[in-house]
Amino acid sequence: MIQSSPLESQPFSLMELMNTFFAILRTSFRRQLAYRAANLSGLATNLMFGIFRAWVLIALYQDRTSVNSLTIQGAITYAGLAQSVIGFLSFFHWYELMNTVYDGQVGSDLIKPLSFFSYWLGIDGGRALGSLLIRSIPLFVVYSLFNNVILPQTPLQWIAFISALLFSWLISFGWRFLVNLAAFWTPNAIGVGRFAFGLSWIFSGFFMPLVLLPDWLANFSRLTPFGASVYIPIQIFIGNIQGGDLVKGLLIQVIWILILFTLDHFMMKLGIKRLVIQGG
Amino acid sequence: MRRSLKLLLRLLRIQVRSQLQYPASFILEVLSSALTLGFFFLTFALTFTRFNQIGRWTLGEVAFVWGITEFSFGIMDMLFNGFDYDAFGPMVRRGHFDQLLLRPVNITLQVLGSRLVLRRLGKILEGVVIFGFGLSQIEITWTLAKVLYLPILSLSQVIFFGSLFIIGATTTYWTMERLEILNIFTYGSSEIMSYPMHIFPRALRMVFTFVVPAIFLSYYPAVFILSKPDPLNAPKFVYFSAPLIACAFLFLALRFWRFGVRNYKSTGS
Repeated sequence: MIQSSPLESQPFSLMELMNTFFAILRTSFRRQLAYRAANLSGLATNLMFGIFRAWVLIALYQDRTSVNSLTIQGAITYAGLAQSVIGFLSFFHWYELMNTVYDGQVGSDLIKPLSFFSYWLGIDGGRALGSLLIRSIPLFVVYSLFNNVILPQTPLQWIAFISALLFSWLISFGWRFLVNLAAFWTPNAIGVGRFAFGLSWIFSGFFMPLVLLPDWLANFSRLTPFGASVYIPIQIFIGNIQGGDLVKGLLIQVIWILILFTLDHFMMKLGIKRLVIQGG
Repeated sequence: MRRSLKLLLRLLRIQVRSQLQYPASFILEVLSSALTLGFFFLTFALTFTRFNQIGRWTLGEVAFVWGITEFSFGIMDMLFNGFDYDAFGPMVRRGHFDQLLLRPVNITLQVLGSRLVLRRLGKILEGVVIFGFGLSQIEITWTLAKVLYLPILSLSQVIFFGSLFIIGATTTYWTMERLEILNIFTYGSSEIMSYPMHIFPRALRMVFTFVVPAIFLSYYPAVFILSKPDPLNAPKFVYFSAPLIACAFLFLALRFWRFGVRNYKSTGS
């Protein structure tokens, strides 16, 4: 009989694993809240860029009230919301995991009782939650003082929006985890990251609302994980997708989460097999 | 002076050589950064087809200011990267800056020579392409004054953005870490300068006129070169103020920098 490795046979109950997961999440959450100056300064920057983008849209709309079913008020809300979720999703800048591969920290992370994937999910979950509370929400509140924004009208719309936002984070995490795994293969994973995060920038609709793009490009972007992660929650928030389309939107998100998480696990196994950690 | 210049060139040459060690990967990085950055403009251009105007400017006219701003910012970000507060913060924190202070060479020169990011050729290339696209879309009645002003304008922008970086780096002496809020003035300026600036509300314009004089380096010169009407009704001499404003701003930035160096206290060990 083949002896399984001592790691896999350690008898941790699901309960214990869950507790560990939430402990990691809590610690990471506290750490995010600790950087008050950095959060505040990031908030001010995103606010300013949100206001820039809103005024570009206002100038483009000129006298028109609605373009391709996006009203000017919807567009203004879009610009503010997109900037509000940047820190929360952290879609365009995340190199934490690859740094641990290069500095060797990954070695001790891999022998933790929690799987490598869950460990990072916990870390990023705490970060995202902290960022949401201290940065995203205040940012949007302040933004709405300067601009005329649309809010969800029904409790159901709020629930749909919050679920979509949660899914967005999971998609973003799945993508960032995958990109960071490149560090197991190449010493220049930062270059891979820059390119990959460039892709998420382009197709996510952060810069311009996707509906304002030509239909072929908008339709394509919506199907990518990037469009699915930013565009869908915002569209739900401003009430532009409802009923069947809303369900379809959430479904696309769930499909992307499944695809990305499967890929993550598959590549993670391959990557860990290749990993050589130097002693010392 | 000659010795310093020679030293600066040598410092920069080392940087270039080290970054060209892997030519294939270098070219790929330049092209991929040009493409991703270019996609911003492409997205704007595609969105523009639904509207056909922004503040009564055409797409070609926006491309003109957008391209020249990207080009100048790219040049600056390549040459002045030693002052990039993203990199300068860690340099101060880890004590590398203390090492530089010990050397018998001008400190400003050493920081300037400490980093040259060749990768920025991507942004420069992207700026050239957008600018070229802009020129192909509009008809400018060229006069000698305009032909001469164009390179001066770009150089002024380089100096202006460089001054912003120097100011950003100087704040690091006190804060010890990069403050994202500075991005409002650096990247914010370059963003706001890429559009016809009269579209922004008065309060925002005032900030980018009197706090950071960005408007003198993009909007007013463009009004002159593109012969556009100016809804802001500024006096004509303002159109030509770009080099003056840039040099004055650099002077102030360097004063602030020297003040920072003099008051710098090391973090120790």
